[in-house]
Amino acid sequence: MIVRQLAARQGRQFLALRRTPVASRFFSSEIPTPPPMEPVVDTPLPEAEPEKIIEEIVPVAPAEPGQASWKKEATHRHRFNRMGTSMKVAYNPDSLLQNPPKPSDITLELLLASQTHLGHSTSRWNPQNSRYIFGIREGVHIISLDVTAAYLRRAAKVVEEVAARGGLILFAGTRKGQKQSVVRAAELARGYHLFERWIPGSLTNGQQILGHCETKVVNALDEELPDFKADLADRPPLKPDLVVCLNPLENVVLLHECGLNNVPTIGIIDTDADPTRVTYPIPSNDDSLRATTLIAGILGRAGEAGQERRMAMAKEGKTTYEPITAQALRLDPFTGTAPGSEQAKKQN
Amino acid sequence: MAGHRSNCIAQAMQLLRLPSSTSRVTVSRAPSHLRPPRTQTRTYATSEEAVSPAAPEIDFSTSSSRSPARIVPASPAYFSGSPRFIDHVLKLEKLQTKYSGLPTMEASEAPRMAWFKLAQFRDFVGEPVPTKKYKSLVKILQRLNRIQPAAVPAEVRSTLESFLRPGNPYAQQLAPPTVDESGRARGRGKRKESSAVVHLVEGEGEILVNGRSLVDVFKRVHDRESALWALRCTQRLDKYNAWINVRGGGVTGQAEAITLATARALLVHEPALKPVLRKAGVISVDARRVERKKPGHVKARKMPTWVKR
Repeated sequence: MIVRQLAARQGRQFLALRRTPVASRFFSSEIPTPPPMEPVVDTPLPEAEPEKIIEEIVPVAPAEPGQASWKKEATHRHRFNRMGTSMKVAYNPDSLLQNPPKPSDITLELLLASQTHLGHSTSRWNPQNSRYIFGIREGVHIISLDVTAAYLRRAAKVVEEVAARGGLILFAGTRKGQKQSVVRAAELARGYHLFERWIPGSLTNGQQILGHCETKVVNALDEELPDFKADLADRPPLKPDLVVCLNPLENVVLLHECGLNNVPTIGIIDTDADPTRVTYPIPSNDDSLRATTLIAGILGRAGEAGQERRMAMAKEGKTTYEPITAQALRLDPFTGTAPGSEQAKKQN
Repeated sequence: MAGHRSNCIAQAMQLLRLPSSTSRVTVSRAPSHLRPPRTQTRTYATSEEAVSPAAPEIDFSTSSSRSPARIVPASPAYFSGSPRFIDHVLKLEKLQTKYSGLPTMEASEAPRMAWFKLAQFRDFVGEPVPTKKYKSLVKILQRLNRIQPAAVPAEVRSTLESFLRPGNPYAQQLAPPTVDESGRARGRGKRKESSAVVHLVEGEGEILVNGRSLVDVFKRVHDRESALWALRCTQRLDKYNAWINVRGGGVTGQAEAITLATARALLVHEPALKPVLRKAGVISVDARRVERKKPGHVKARKMPTWVKR
């Protein structure tokens, strides 16, 4: 073992040994020999970079022995990871979440890789989906990818236009594991997310269910106008202008309420779902998290583009919607009279 | 396969004809708003089409859109019905993933924090939060609290502090019990109806229970073993003398009350033994008591046999 440590070599353990030249201890002779690891010490090591990264993670805090050892360990780890082979093309499971593709990046390869083509067992099909179905393989319906791409592009356009017109876009995905993608899409599109149960009646009985939830008045640049806080008290609860539903099969109530309230919906329609339940179907596999994450990400990116367009217009002083005037905001939403005059009437 | 496919397409086209034709009509009638108009008349629940059809497509060609324009929800979780709670959860989860690499310590070593009680938390967010969801939030808080104090980011610290209830109930710490001037450590323990007081002195392993020998009081070997288990498992049987007073209950209860009292007294002498004793199951209190008998029952829960008349 000792002899092996003396030999020059490359490897990850090499660096670890550098600071503790154990080998010298084992020599019986008293002659001071130079530490055997010296040639390695001379090699330039990129010290600055790992330090920087660690300081990003660790905020200003007094160093303690426990923390110091952890820091040292992290530095070592970082240095070792830089050695050896470098992984150029590696699959990052979170890349669809962190950096979802744009609608212009939709390719059939991407859709295929994301498993959007896999439908359900042929016995479970809804014949209304036959125009989206490419064929049957091993008893499973295969969804036509070019149809998926076309419908997905259309849905992305819809999301973008609604976002550009200042509409409220709700992303709903209530299956297990869809939370992250739904939140991310809402974050990108500056929309709203729903990853737990849709409370039945949120649209049809909104005052009871969403009445206590806060709203705000914003100007064209999306800056809050706190002056109108008091005027929002007796306004009816808000309704989304577009609902994107990642699992329409489980959200029958949501889609029904959207239908009653004339809220357009976008839904991922698998081969067993009813495409007429949504306004804009996207024929795709809704059981694969990768597929739903991809679709949510693309729609989120589309919403982002729409919002950017709207902000650019707002900076020029243009809006795609009619802004409410301060006076209209102050009026009673039901009677259309000023609040002061109504009070006066009651007193009389 | 081919035959099946052609058949299904024909079948589907027939099915499709109805809904698509109805939706076309509504599209052409869409007015100038972003949200399309309601065209469907209300149906009875018993009628065939109880499920409403999806809203018609949006007509983007018209320039002006909906009003009122920009009253927007304050939180992205508005439509969930409990936006403030979900905002808190998402914020904490974000912190957790961001700082998951920081060094942590054992949960037992982490500083003790008095999080909001459920009712207080409900007041804090102003929403009816279910118990289970609040528990999952507290779990995230506890994970963040396990980050080593020196490495805790200011962001995490301030967030955690916002979930603390006012006043610090863990501020005053009881002074740890000490050995008295004559070298005695006192420990008390209870089990079932029995309670025991143990005075533990360094010595040669002599034990007196209510002035009698251990063998005299506990006839069963099992009881003797369990009474002295704290000393036995730490190999301190011959290093301490114990003078024990035990009263109430039966033999098992007395023996196990002595176990707990001895362990507590031993901890006064040697606090470092705590993990060993904890593992031996000697310092956990068994708080079970006999359940009272209820009227209408034969015992605490047993119901009288059902008799036909």
